[in-house]
Amino acid sequence: MSRAPLTVGIIANPASGRDVRRLTANAGLFSSTDKVSVIQRLLAAFGATGIDRVLMPTDMTGIAAAVLKNSHGRQARSSHWPALEFLDLTLRQSVEDTRLAARWMAERGVALIAVLGGDGTHKAVAAEVGDIPLLTLSTGTNNAFPELREATSAGLAGGLFVSGRIPPGIALRRNKRLLVREPSRGLCEMALVDVAVSSLPFVGARAISRGTDLAEVFVTFAEPQSIGISALCGLWFPVSRQAPGGAWMRLDARSPEALLVPLAPGLLQGCGVLAAGSLEPGVAHRLCLASGTLALDGEREIEFNAHDRPTVTLDAGGPLSIDVNATLAHAAQQRLLAIGREHPQHPLNLESQDTLENKNVDTADR
Amino acid sequence: MSTQLTADQLLHAYQVMRTIRVFEERLHVEFATGEIPGFVHLYAGEEASAAGVMAHLGDDDCIASNHRGHGHCIAKGVDVYGMMAEIYGKKTGVCQGKGGSMHIADFEKGMLGANGIVGAGAPLVVGAALAAKLKGTDSVAVVFFGDGGSNEGAVFEAMNMASVWNLPCLFIAENNGYAEATASNWSVACDHIADRAAGFGMPGVTVDGFDFFAVHEAAGAAVERARAGEGPSLIEVKLTRYYGHFEGDAQTYRAPDEVKHFREHNDCLMQFRDRVTRAGRVQASQLDQIDSEVDLLIENAVRKAKSDPKPSAADLLSDVYVSYP
Repeated sequence: MSRAPLTVGIIANPASGRDVRRLTANAGLFSSTDKVSVIQRLLAAFGATGIDRVLMPTDMTGIAAAVLKNSHGRQARSSHWPALEFLDLTLRQSVEDTRLAARWMAERGVALIAVLGGDGTHKAVAAEVGDIPLLTLSTGTNNAFPELREATSAGLAGGLFVSGRIPPGIALRRNKRLLVREPSRGLCEMALVDVAVSSLPFVGARAISRGTDLAEVFVTFAEPQSIGISALCGLWFPVSRQAPGGAWMRLDARSPEALLVPLAPGLLQGCGVLAAGSLEPGVAHRLCLASGTLALDGEREIEFNAHDRPTVTLDAGGPLSIDVNATLAHAAQQRLLAIGREHPQHPLNLESQDTLENKNVDTADR
Repeated sequence: MSTQLTADQLLHAYQVMRTIRVFEERLHVEFATGEIPGFVHLYAGEEASAAGVMAHLGDDDCIASNHRGHGHCIAKGVDVYGMMAEIYGKKTGVCQGKGGSMHIADFEKGMLGANGIVGAGAPLVVGAALAAKLKGTDSVAVVFFGDGGSNEGAVFEAMNMASVWNLPCLFIAENNGYAEATASNWSVACDHIADRAAGFGMPGVTVDGFDFFAVHEAAGAAVERARAGEGPSLIEVKLTRYYGHFEGDAQTYRAPDEVKHFREHNDCLMQFRDRVTRAGRVQASQLDQIDSEVDLLIENAVRKAKSDPKPSAADLLSDVYVSYP
């Protein structure tokens, strides 16, 4: 009986993890070499869970090249990596590359897209792929949407779901989103975690590194343990990922109340809190400033001025993502990773292989 | 660190970028006539990098440049007519016509020199930064090199020494995608030049070199660190050059629509004009006026440079060796 090959996509943002916050805060580096390792951990987990094919975009920073090179190596063979197919995009070295790769993968009907990047990368993919679930991995600076998580176990969760062994009701989580609309400019942009209104006039180096640059914040969810702009609400007016609504906060340096917030790794800033409240789904909110910039998921992206009237609306139309904890809990309960005597990784098979190797006997190449 | 620039600072930044652009576009035309000796390597397309970094520097801060140095010189305040005369090899040039395009220097402006040797500027600024540290001034020293230069041993040694001695130094890697005709993604092993900073114990960041504000903000943070005694930084500025490696380069190694795409979608002058006028920070008419003034400046510089005298045989040995008392 033949079945359609199980195909998933992997998109790694080559640019994530190296912005100005290495200078303005104590953010670490997520090098291309590290990203290659994360992808290879995913490939091992996908191979182990029966994924047949993986689509990846090419890039200008050697990530795809290193994975291709290593796919001919011993580790790749012994962990049965899926077949790799590289999407030959015309690269612009901007977020457009991520969007284009996501569109191509959606057209190819992938069952899942693993995303390596920050909140911004996940947002760019989510905007293109409808209800294809995302396996989210943080390789950015301060992220709330993708969790910091080991890629091997995340890959197992993704692979178990795609191979049909986890019910969607357990594996999948629907996320909220914020929509920024400015009809006169034909603008409709999405954020997955937060929209911040800043008086800074220009996009510049994108990150927001000072609390006094913030006037208003909208969040889809805000956890007390988070870092970045959503930590503001997380430490004052927290709201969970699962709650139907979000939260907003108004900030002013002269407010009677102030809050200490981790705005970036190692960067704690005092922010004057004017007011905070719940954000109801479906209600369009105007901004408290007439001009400035809007930071979507932590990065200034939109400059607006007195002629514009942007609004921010929360809804439940965000992407589906894999709930790794719930998926692996189900896998444990059902012993889904139990293996039989025929499995090449069965300890007895490994033992006999060792014996053969020690005797220097040629074995058929797998 | 912030992008809260005054209207005067915005106009100055535009004037610097516009001057570089018109200077280089004009050289592109003039070089083809055969009147200019030697090679020229044009900086057009990369203006936001020079303008964004130099906005934080004064005459006491030193820079060293590379073979593609016109933009750095203009942004550092070297006289435009003196530069044009130098490129034409005339006695009125900033180096009396004996340096040419690749050796423009003006110590009074803190310009230690363009440099024909790839990567050779880095050790020079480490020396300048050491001098600033020993003298106890708050000056900083900045080197500009390319993706090709980033592979040079001299640059590695300079970064190591700057970090070991905690010197007020900035390493600006202008990654335009090609070392002559070799693509950087073929030749830079670590793929992001900024990643190399970690190996030398300094912060490294990548910024969009088409966006003046992005470069300005990152350079501001790095200069602030250096002046505060917190040591060197590496900034990788991602940008493109609009012309070949040198004038006359057929550029068969580039995609046919590559430059067109960047000119139409990313051009630093276009972006800057759109954004500052849309934000109501300056009027379009003020920028138009700068355009006219710059056109006139370059026209006069070329006209005078062409008619100026060349150095004579008697000048041959002057300024070659230091005269010791």
